[in-house]
Amino acid sequence: MSILYVLVLLVPAAFASGWFAARRAAVHRSGMRVSELSSDYFRGLNYLLNEEQDKAIEVFLKLAEYNRDTVETHLALGNLFRRRGEVDRAIRLHQHLVSRPGLSEAMKTVALLELGEDYMRAGLLDRAEALFSDLVAMNAHAPSALRHLVAIYQHERDWHKAIDHARRLEAMTGDDESPMIAQFYCELAEQARQHGARSEARDYLHQAFECQPDCVRAFMLTGRLHAEAGEHAEAVEAYEAAVGADIAFVPEILPPLLNSYARTGQMERAEHFLRDILARYNGISPVLALTKLYNQRDGERAGIEFLTSQLRQRPSVRGLMALIDATMDKIEGEARENFLILRDLTRKLLEGQAMYRCSRCGFGAKAHHWQCPSCKGWSTIRPIHGVANE
Amino acid sequence: MRLIALLILALFIVAGVVVGALNAGPVSYDLAFFQVTMPKGAGVLLALVIGWLLGGLTAWLGMSLRHRRVLRRTRPSNGKTPARA
Ligand SMILES: [Zn+2]
Repeated sequence: MSILYVLVLLVPAAFASGWFAARRAAVHRSGMRVSELSSDYFRGLNYLLNEEQDKAIEVFLKLAEYNRDTVETHLALGNLFRRRGEVDRAIRLHQHLVSRPGLSEAMKTVALLELGEDYMRAGLLDRAEALFSDLVAMNAHAPSALRHLVAIYQHERDWHKAIDHARRLEAMTGDDESPMIAQFYCELAEQARQHGARSEARDYLHQAFECQPDCVRAFMLTGRLHAEAGEHAEAVEAYEAAVGADIAFVPEILPPLLNSYARTGQMERAEHFLRDILARYNGISPVLALTKLYNQRDGERAGIEFLTSQLRQRPSVRGLMALIDATMDKIEGEARENFLILRDLTRKLLEGQAMYRCSRCGFGAKAHHWQCPSCKGWSTIRPIHGVANE
Repeated sequence: MRLIALLILALFIVAGVVVGALNAGPVSYDLAFFQVTMPKGAGVLLALVIGWLLGGLTAWLGMSLRHRRVLRRTRPSNGKTPARA
C-alpha cells in the first residue's frame, strides 16, 4: 500500500483537529461562554432580589473564580459583603481589586470609591477621608466622594469642613444643599453658645439665615440666645417666627416661648398667639399651655373647663393626665384611689411611647434630634400626632 | 481526564516511533520545481503538521472575520461617522 493512501486519510483528520483546536482556544480567550456565565449571573441576581444574600454570594464567588477578568462581579461581591456587615472581607476584596495590574483607570476609581465606603462602614474614618480626598483631587466620582466626605465631617462634628465640602458639592452638581448647610451653621452656633461666645453664635446664625431664611432651628437658637441674655422681648419675636416657619415644632418651641412671655408679662399676647395656633395645629401642646394660662389667670375651674371642652375635640393621653392631675385634689375616699391607679396607668402608657419619628426612615425617638441618628437626615424628626403622643 | 489524554498521547508517540523505525526507507517526492527525499515516517508527520496548521488557520480566519462583522454592527457610531443602516 502506498504511503499516499495513508496521507489521504490522515491529512483531513489533522485539518479537522487543527480547526477544532483553534476554535476552542478562541472561545476560551474571548469569553464566548457568555451564555453559561450570564445564566449564573442572573441566578445570582435573582437571589439578590429575593434577599437571599447567602446564596447570591455563593453564586458570585463561583463566578468570580470562574472568570477572573470580570471586575463587575468582584464589585458586586464586595458590595454584598459590605451590606451584610462582613466589612473586612469587602475591604480585602476591594484592596485586591485596586492593586490588580492592568485594571482600567475608570474601574480602579470605582473600586477606590467602594473601598472608601468599606472604610467608612468599618469606622476607619481617617483612611476613608484620605481616599475620598484623593478621588476628589483626581476629579473621579467627585460628587459621590464629596457626599461621603460631608458625611464623615458631620460624624466628626467638623462643621467648617462639612460646610466647605457641601458648598463644593453644590457647585459641582448644582443641587441645593443650603438647608443642610444651614443646619451646619446652627451646629456651630450651638457650640459657640455653649462656650458662652454669644456674638460668635449670632454670626453663625446670620449665616444660617442666609442659607435658609426660614430655618426653624436658627429661629429657635436666636430665641434661646436672647432669652439667655435676658432680652425676653426679642426672644418672643424669634420664637414666634420659629412657629411661623414650621408649625410642626410647636411642642419644642412652646415651653421657652411661654417662659419668655411670662418674663415680659405679655400674657394677653400669649393667649392670642396660642389661640391662633390652636386653630391651625391639632396637637395637645397649645391646649395644655392655654390650660395653664387660664389656671393662673382665671382660677382652676376655668382651666379645667377649657381642658375638658378641648379634650372632647382632640382626645389625648397627655391631656387626660393633665386633667387627672388637676382634679386630684378635689376628690376624696375610694374614688381617689381609683384615680391614683388611673394616673399611674397613663404615666406608664406615656413612658413607653416614642414622641418623635423620622419622616424619612421611620426612626422613633423619645427626645428630639435635629439629625436623625438612623438615616442622618437633617430636620426630618418630627413630633408624632396621635392619641398617646402629641 | 487529563491523565487519560496524556496516556493516549504517549501511546501514539510510541506507535509513531515503532512505525517510523519499521518504515525507515526513504521516499522521494517530485514537486515539479524540486525533488525532496525524506524518510517515510517524516513525510507522514510533515503532512499531518501542515494539515493541522491549515485547519487552525482556516478556523481562526473565519472567526475573526465574523467577530469584526459583529463589532461593526453592534457599535455603529464608535467614530464620528454613523454606519449605513
Ligand atoms: Zn431617619
